Amino acid sequence: MIRFENVRKKYGDTVILNNLSFNIEPGEFVVLIGPSGCGKTTTLKSINRLITPDEGKIFVNGNDISESNPVKLRRKIGYVIQQIGLFPNMTIEQNIGIVPKRLKYSKDEIKKITHELMEMVDMSYEEYAHKYPSELSGGQQQRIGVLRALAASPPIVLMDEPFGALDPMTRSVLQDEIVKLHKQLKKTIVFVTHDMNEALDLADKIIFMEKGEIVQMATPDEMLANPATPLIRDFMRKSSSSSDFSELTAGDFMKTKFFSVYKKRSIRECTDLMARQHIDSLLIKNDDDTYAGVITIQDIKKHGTSSGIISDITPYQNITSNVLENAKESFDKLYATTDNYVVVLKNDNTIAGIVSKTSMATAMADTLWGDMQ
Amino acid sequence: MSYLDTYGPQLMKAIQVHLFYVLSSVLIGFVIAIILGILLSRVPQYAKIIMPLLSIFQTIPGIVFIGVLFLYLGMIPATVIIALAVYAIFPVLKNTYTGLLDVKPEYIEAAKGCGMSKMQTLFEVELPLATPSIITGLRMSTIYTVSWSVLAAMIGLGGLGEFIYIGIASNNNFLILLGAIPSALMAIVLSLLIDVLRRVVVPKGLKVSK
Repeated sequence: MIRFENVRKKYGDTVILNNLSFNIEPGEFVVLIGPSGCGKTTTLKSINRLITPDEGKIFVNGNDISESNPVKLRRKIGYVIQQIGLFPNMTIEQNIGIVPKRLKYSKDEIKKITHELMEMVDMSYEEYAHKYPSELSGGQQQRIGVLRALAASPPIVLMDEPFGALDPMTRSVLQDEIVKLHKQLKKTIVFVTHDMNEALDLADKIIFMEKGEIVQMATPDEMLANPATPLIRDFMRKSSSSSDFSELTAGDFMKTKFFSVYKKRSIRECTDLMARQHIDSLLIKNDDDTYAGVITIQDIKKHGTSSGIISDITPYQNITSNVLENAKESFDKLYATTDNYVVVLKNDNTIAGIVSKTSMATAMADTLWGDMQ
Repeated sequence: MSYLDTYGPQLMKAIQVHLFYVLSSVLIGFVIAIILGILLSRVPQYAKIIMPLLSIFQTIPGIVFIGVLFLYLGMIPATVIIALAVYAIFPVLKNTYTGLLDVKPEYIEAAKGCGMSKMQTLFEVELPLATPSIITGLRMSTIYTVSWSVLAAMIGLGGLGEFIYIGIASNNNFLILLGAIPSALMAIVLSLLIDVLRRVVVPKGLKVSK
């Protein structure tokens, strides 16, 4: 379907593609992956002639693409980019219909195609077809971006980090959808990413590139079993370690933004601080920075007077855990008590952070779906 | 109110002439500016040199330019219209150029990737996205031209400037105001009309959001 023969590309003195040769079979889902600057995007863009190689030949469907008209070629190859690039001046239907319109499909046909495609990704035609891109969420926009690439049923679809700008939740939903679409429509898909998890989930075949060359071309299973170089092994480890829960510690999950005061602070200062920060408890430290306990606003109320210093009140002994303690144990502790959080202590008994139920939720989402930052 | 009785018909005539100068020169300037702006946006490397040169030209006082043109063309309306059109070009040209250059590269890439030709990309993506900027330029041109049209009277070609010049010459404040107020009103009304135009031509998708 797509064949590269000794393709070279240089920008100035930098070699981007170094004698690249490979073959992609019809219906294959091929993922190009590698460190930034490895030439994966350049490879992708040479397929629809957005980039012209210096040497070598690229064949699509047996035809040398350097001899075909680039505009016509691109109408037969779907293209999805990371920045989505839906035209803001056009409605969703007009965006999806952009290639069919060039190919002189009738209005009714375009409407029918739009309808069918939107149904495939569970977006209602009636609700969304006449909206503008700015009225949709990022995930919805990229769904439409994918549909736009599929609209004229091209046999090949190129995707340049299509889900890179989406939040992890939306990304995984769209990954599932693209797998579904690939199975249904049997397109040849070439997909660029730098996320090994994504590659392993989606690909029939992964092409790992480094410095403009193919380091390994293999199925996900083969690559997992026999990574060809240490770099590939590194890539895989990075992506697999984050899904391994059992080794996470309380330190991985804790919030490091918390409010603590020394014992000798006046009660009035403490209530002021609570009011300003909208919190109802403070961590109390001894003079040597070690943890002494927790004072809540109820404790202060019970104490009855706002004069004096905070150590006049006996601090509450909140549950604690060590930074190196297994995260699951900290969570179990938190569930077992009525305390609002676990105070996480370093080995020298100073305060490292707190684990609350909300920090738990965001941290778990982080780990499950990738880095939320 | 006897002044108004005296000058009424003359004022109506002057407003018409003034408006004619403004509309025809802005129209001509606008068309030239759009074409130039599109051409320059295709070659930004040259535009970086050409645009500053044009902006220097813009600083020549209108009164000098009309005077020079008058020597060559004589006392005909074309003198005024050409001079004003030249001045009307620049704001539209600058805004067309920057408006086109500000179109995010992702839209151009998407258009290319969808198999749109350069012309299709220009007319269906780039120009629609540049309309807010272009209309802003048109508004500036129009307002400037309303005030510059006063200069027509300097070479005896009528318009509201006539009242102002006579007023200044005869030290008659009423006559100055009789020229100045209608031209200020004209600027306001035309700029309101451009607001209406903006609502019509700026694509709806650029105005809505979630």
